[in-house]
Amino acid sequence: MYIIGIDVGGTNTDVALIKDDVVVATGKVPTDHDNLAESTAAALECILDTYSGQESLKLHLSTTLCTNTIIEGKGEPTAVLAVPGPGMRIEDLGLGFAVQILEGSVDHRGREVAGISISEVHDALKAASAEGTAALAIVGKFSHRNPAQELAIEEVAKNAYPEFRHITLGHRLSGRPNFPRRLSTSYLNAGVAKTQARFVDMIQRVMVRGKDIGPVFVLKADGGTMTLEDSLIRPVETILSGPAASIMGARALTAYPKENAVIVDIGGTTTDIAVQIGGEAVFQRQGAEIAGHRTLVPALFARSIGLGGDSEIRVLSEEADSGTARLEIGPKRAGIPAALGGSRATPTDAAVTLGLASIGDVERARKAVAIIGVELGYGIEEAARAIIDAFTNKLTKEIEDTYAYLESRPVYTVSELLASPDIRPKAIIGLGGPAHVFIPKAAEAIGLAWEVLPRYQEANAIGSGASRPTAAVTLHADTALGTITVPEMDYVGKLRTKRLFDLEKARTDARQWAYKKGRSLGITSLEDIVIIEEESFNMVRGFYTTGRIFTIRAQVRPDVRRVRAAKIGGRSQ
Amino acid sequence: MRESKHKVGLIFFPAFDWAISPDHPEREERLLYTRDQIMEEGLFDIPGIEEFRPAIASDAQINRTHICVPSTSEVITESHRIAAGGTITAADLVLNGEVDRSFALLRPPGHHAMRVVHGSRGFCVVNNEAIMVEHIRHTYGPNLRIAIVDTDAHHGDGTQDIFYNDPGVLHISLHQDGRTLYPGSGFMNERGGPAAYGQTINVPLPPGTGDEGILYVLEHLVLPILAEFEPDVIVNAAGQDNHYTDPLTNMNFTAQGYARLTELLSPDIVVLEGGYSIEGALPYVNAGLILALAGLDYSAAREPDWSEDKVKQSPRVTEAVKGIVGQLQRMWSTRHDVDLGAVFGTGRVFERRRQIYYDTDGIMEEQLEHIRLCPNCSGWRSIYSGATRGLGRATLIAAVLIPWHCCPQCRREAENRHDANAAESRFRHVYLQDVEKDVFIGS
Ligand SMILES: [Zn+2]
Ligand SMILES: [Zn+2]
Repeated sequence: MYIIGIDVGGTNTDVALIKDDVVVATGKVPTDHDNLAESTAAALECILDTYSGQESLKLHLSTTLCTNTIIEGKGEPTAVLAVPGPGMRIEDLGLGFAVQILEGSVDHRGREVAGISISEVHDALKAASAEGTAALAIVGKFSHRNPAQELAIEEVAKNAYPEFRHITLGHRLSGRPNFPRRLSTSYLNAGVAKTQARFVDMIQRVMVRGKDIGPVFVLKADGGTMTLEDSLIRPVETILSGPAASIMGARALTAYPKENAVIVDIGGTTTDIAVQIGGEAVFQRQGAEIAGHRTLVPALFARSIGLGGDSEIRVLSEEADSGTARLEIGPKRAGIPAALGGSRATPTDAAVTLGLASIGDVERARKAVAIIGVELGYGIEEAARAIIDAFTNKLTKEIEDTYAYLESRPVYTVSELLASPDIRPKAIIGLGGPAHVFIPKAAEAIGLAWEVLPRYQEANAIGSGASRPTAAVTLHADTALGTITVPEMDYVGKLRTKRLFDLEKARTDARQWAYKKGRSLGITSLEDIVIIEEESFNMVRGFYTTGRIFTIRAQVRPDVRRVRAAKIGGRSQ
Repeated sequence: MRESKHKVGLIFFPAFDWAISPDHPEREERLLYTRDQIMEEGLFDIPGIEEFRPAIASDAQINRTHICVPSTSEVITESHRIAAGGTITAADLVLNGEVDRSFALLRPPGHHAMRVVHGSRGFCVVNNEAIMVEHIRHTYGPNLRIAIVDTDAHHGDGTQDIFYNDPGVLHISLHQDGRTLYPGSGFMNERGGPAAYGQTINVPLPPGTGDEGILYVLEHLVLPILAEFEPDVIVNAAGQDNHYTDPLTNMNFTAQGYARLTELLSPDIVVLEGGYSIEGALPYVNAGLILALAGLDYSAAREPDWSEDKVKQSPRVTEAVKGIVGQLQRMWSTRHDVDLGAVFGTGRVFERRRQIYYDTDGIMEEQLEHIRLCPNCSGWRSIYSGATRGLGRATLIAAVLIPWHCCPQCRREAENRHDANAAESRFRHVYLQDVEKDVFIGS
């Protein structure tokens, strides 16, 4: 079986062809933003020669399209109708987009407290329509507990205002709480729907023209895939899939697939730190953040710091006990390394000076490093070593900070607080151009095993191809009210046998829902469904147990296809 | 999102896996709806509001405040250590300057726990605020002046007991009149011990007191007293059972009222106490309180079923509140004119005998306390305490307390007394609690 992994990035479109568990070909073409279909097709072309045409072929696409659309503020104008009820004032949320507030209110258990006004809904839709808006987001507070008001507004819009071609309802995007994030996520989703639709259309044309490509999957911020069809409904989930693809590439290639490890991707301008615990990637606590919008889009945790091969090096004037301590590296970029014609020394130049990297003109690198040396009162080699050490120190400190942050994330039970799992890494998985210079040193400083993945430039495309489907559902059941909701599946039901509905039943139901969602992604067994969060509360009113509340989150077991590619590695001890 | 005006540290710890017993008000479910509300409101996303994990209080930290019988580890659970530890975290965040204000939104509560602890009373075993106060003085300086404003609907009798002879602490408790509610204390004539007379202030409010009344007390009594006391740290023991929906009390406070109180009081540290209207009050009161603490607009933070008629305070109550405030104002302004000899006697010691009932655990404690009336310090104290569970035999203990800034004479006397206690066989346990030297001996 063949998989093509594509990562359409801001500059290049990378592509990798995976046959079973081997990367058999990779390629790269410049991304043509004005004609993505062309450049994507070109990327396909450059590896399809390797494909025999006999076996089944899947395409995994990671694209920066929605990300860029959002960052550049080029989404469709979107009308946002909100039903906030009492609480924090919408105007204080700093959403960065206009919101039309409607009457109505739902409380924390999903009970309707105040009804919506249909005439007010009409007025709001008419006004939005008059402005020529075609994208619409409808979002209620606590709609993940009871989506009835969102659905009622949607019905009005669908029946009387066909001009709204892209309608997003908050509850369908996530079963998690956070009304401001639900607003932002829905707004962004509605705004990029048209862009994604055009892209999907293009991809389908590329496919018709090319060889017989099987199902197409789209990469998401959580490092998993969804179907092309789903990407039309929830395009916002494709944001930040590029960084996720790189992390998945590292996880596909690493020699430490099941261990606690830190993934460090050192680039020219930034270093991205991601974390793997027991073979699974760590997620952002609430969701992705993009262009100042906080969302509920599940995303891999990554900490980006201004530290890279092209970082600026400054010599601090204060007295410090060593030259290393007087050096400040980053967060700004100095420009290209002196070795390549830049004007100032960069960490890359220090590596070139010491013969740790062979990039550009060694003499130019040495001259630039010598200037730093004069400021420090050091010779050239000594100065270069101080730069490498300062870089390594900053990197190890950032790794430590990352774990300190993750370990301080709040927990809400006594048992979790008393018995926090050990998340500390056993190894550093390094990738990126300067990785081979700094990763072994950082690993030695922390006392970890390490490896540097050789095909870092294709890690994103490999990761795109190696990614697996992900899908999650949130089941919330309230036996006192007799309600059960699975917002991601747009399901609201009544519990007929309240007394019989127990935790076991809640788990079974949640797994079934996740399985149902996973089937369209090719999941064929309930074994692939896991429960990742569960809560069960007895409700007591006036000294009597009146019911129970269950919240179960079930998902397709996240996974990555392990692939092989030659690599170098070692251990620090 | 609009940035908060004051940087707020939230130590949110709902202890979702701990209960006193399955159907007890202090159970797993208590902060569930509060969690749901503050998560849904996105309060943790506000720049300037940050969530922190609670610390776990050590025996040493607890022993600066309590005499736990037989020992600290035998009367408390890990949940109590976390509640006390989280409150300590709240203090550290503020005193380290990491945040401007902090809120320990956690359970179980503590303000009914007294100095000597034989078990659980009023859902409390150890006193979170008091443990925090001793931590503050131990870590950041023994001369820090601390004001505790307890706005729980129940009298903060535990905190009052712990600090009633402590000149460094001002304790003001606003609560529903003790004649109508547990624990049946907190009257205006409870004014503190000989070394801190007038620094215990009790404001017993008539049932039916609402926002108007409580805010009146705040503006006309609490704030002027605070201005005069000039505390370094203001702590709000923020019980939320004065809410109009609370099942255990008869008050009429609202989320808006609570937010306004927080805004006016400007506390450095807020600590959750009681509050058992877990669906109708806590989610909204806490949301409003957090917004007010952060200095953000809280005008839309109210209960969905709120209406003016529901919470209107009767003119009779308004008059009563004004009367109480007037009386307490006079008592405050004339506190130095009181002849302490007439109150505490003119001998070497002041003696008080009390019975303390532990409703949660069904324990009756008999206590005899001596305070040395010392011209040079607040005086060492001696406590004899016998506790009876049901029909069992009393456990008799003796404790000696050495206060902050203890004079050498008192210290000598106290240490001698402890040695004498230890030699007596009738005491099952003897304790020496020396906050100044940070020594605790229990045997
Ligand atoms: Zn209370
Ligand atoms: Zn003395």
